[in-house]
Amino acid sequence: MPTAKKTAAAQALAEFSDFNLKMARGQQMLQRLKDEDVQIATADKEVVFRQDKVTLYRYAATAKRSLKVPVLVAYGQIGRYTMTDLQEDRSMLRNLLALGVDVYAVDWGNPTRSDRWLAFEDYVHGYLNECVEFICRQHPLSAINLLGICEGGVFSLCYAALYPDRVKNLILTITPVDFHQDQAEGRANHGLLNLWTRGLGADDIDRLIEANGNLPGELMSYVFAQMTPGATLSKYNVGLLDTFDDEKKLLNFLRMEKWIADRPHHPGEAARQLLVNLYKNNELIRGEFQLAGRTVNLADIKVPVLNVFAKDDHIIPPKTTQALRAAVGTQDYTEIGLDGGHVGVFVSGKSQGILGKGIHDWLRKRD
Amino acid sequence: MSEAPNTWADSWATSQQALMQAMFPVQPSGVASATGTPGALQEQFAELRGTWQESIEKWTELVKQGPKAAPLTPEALRELFAPDRWSGTGPGAFDAGLRQVLEGPKYAMLFDLDRKLLALRQLASQRDKDVAAFHAILLKAWNAALERFSSSVASTKVHAPPTWRDMADRWLAVVNDTLIEAQRSEAFVEAQRKMLRSASDHRLQERKIAEAWCDAFHVPTRTEMDEMQRTVAELRRQLRALERAGGPRPAASHPTASRPRKRVAAKKSPASVRS
Repeated sequence: MPTAKKTAAAQALAEFSDFNLKMARGQQMLQRLKDEDVQIATADKEVVFRQDKVTLYRYAATAKRSLKVPVLVAYGQIGRYTMTDLQEDRSMLRNLLALGVDVYAVDWGNPTRSDRWLAFEDYVHGYLNECVEFICRQHPLSAINLLGICEGGVFSLCYAALYPDRVKNLILTITPVDFHQDQAEGRANHGLLNLWTRGLGADDIDRLIEANGNLPGELMSYVFAQMTPGATLSKYNVGLLDTFDDEKKLLNFLRMEKWIADRPHHPGEAARQLLVNLYKNNELIRGEFQLAGRTVNLADIKVPVLNVFAKDDHIIPPKTTQALRAAVGTQDYTEIGLDGGHVGVFVSGKSQGILGKGIHDWLRKRD
Repeated sequence: MSEAPNTWADSWATSQQALMQAMFPVQPSGVASATGTPGALQEQFAELRGTWQESIEKWTELVKQGPKAAPLTPEALRELFAPDRWSGTGPGAFDAGLRQVLEGPKYAMLFDLDRKLLALRQLASQRDKDVAAFHAILLKAWNAALERFSSSVASTKVHAPPTWRDMADRWLAVVNDTLIEAQRSEAFVEAQRKMLRSASDHRLQERKIAEAWCDAFHVPTRTEMDEMQRTVAELRRQLRALERAGGPRPAASHPTASRPRKRVAAKKSPASVRS
């Protein structure tokens, strides 16, 4: 009987019945699923380089090489690189591999208290540089393609500015550049992290790092959850319930949860630089950010730049990253704006056909 | 030249008498001064002189009654600078420090635990107050959300949600917007700052107490470990800089590059979905 023709009582009963049926179906699915079903970052890869807690992976080719120059993917420290290969059908890395790209990815590991003093300069001059040098030696090449994500994009920007000879093409995704443009579009849900960080004094941040050694992953999880209160409140009730219609959805949900829960601590000194020098003082776009005594000047980036952003990114609002166009020293600057939010760029169904292909096509013209 | 006085008291008395002579030279009584000062004035001067002299005599007597310092004879000097007088087990300048090194800190020095705990209690109380203030702001926002939602449902202009799910979605949308609005307010930002700050302060005070125990029982403290790790991080940076200055290394010479490669097996998830 069509819903519209039912009485209110019959409609309520039908809803109640559907709800219970869905719950029972979900329970069956959850009982059936095992840990191995929700593995993430499962693309075939090998460890090719390791230093301290940092690991460089090279991914196994799945198609004939279409680009001569490999791509090194550098994620940030707030979250883990595994998001780029969440599952087989939602994986930027697999999409690139399928298009014939030789892919490397760096995993910063799980920093502990002993990594408290690691700073941006250690990641840029040290680990990232070591990874690039390794790849250059292996191929051999004088420069490679560098793909930075979020804070990894900031690492990549610094690296490209300080080591211009080592980067052939620079690709950035969801990367903050002008940290004070968070309200340029006047969207209330955008840039809360920017606002809250500016609300802290530098000494508050120092005390926070001193007390914890690092920027605790749990604190960042709390901050991100608070930035989207509606989604956070509904996730484990109506959100989870929605996935009980379809096992694919449930698995996707669980894998996302697995990635979210795996949030590393951010090394203290680098966190202090991120929060004070970048978020508060906006030194990157001002050309004042210093690493080991060298100033990062974005105008020194003269290689082609592809900047991918999410149009509804509440963490890195579009204008904060689009500011890069005017800052870099190259005319070969391209933007791709994708629908959706911050992580959606990598894990949404819609972006799967666009992101990997967009990067590949852009690189192919500059290979 | 008169004989040099032997003691400080003699010296003092002599100098005072000399001062007296200089101030009040002896004059025959009843003789007017060259300026024709009347006799009454002379009497006043004489009275003052007498009073002053009396005072000096009393002081001289008092000083003479004090302990008589022995003259600085060679024997006295030897005694004064004798090593055992300086380094003995008495209240020498270094004894307290040496005793602490040998015996460890005294309880009175080590366990000002009550004061440390009191400070911790105060910081915990401050933190709880700041957390409560933070929650009060959020609670106010929740109340505002409920009011807005109730008005929206009661409004005849807006269609009532037809299903429980539609109702839940509308509620979540209202809560989302209202909470974000509150979270952008100055009051929220300041309350969040205070909460984080007082939590950090509390944690650091806990560390102080823990480190006092570590000190007493020969356990390295967090602060010491931090200092050591900082040194390691700085040394690594210096090493990297030196390596860079030495130019690029061949692949085979790199410590990790020559290691056998480790394959990370692809894990196929049985229930995973292929596109």
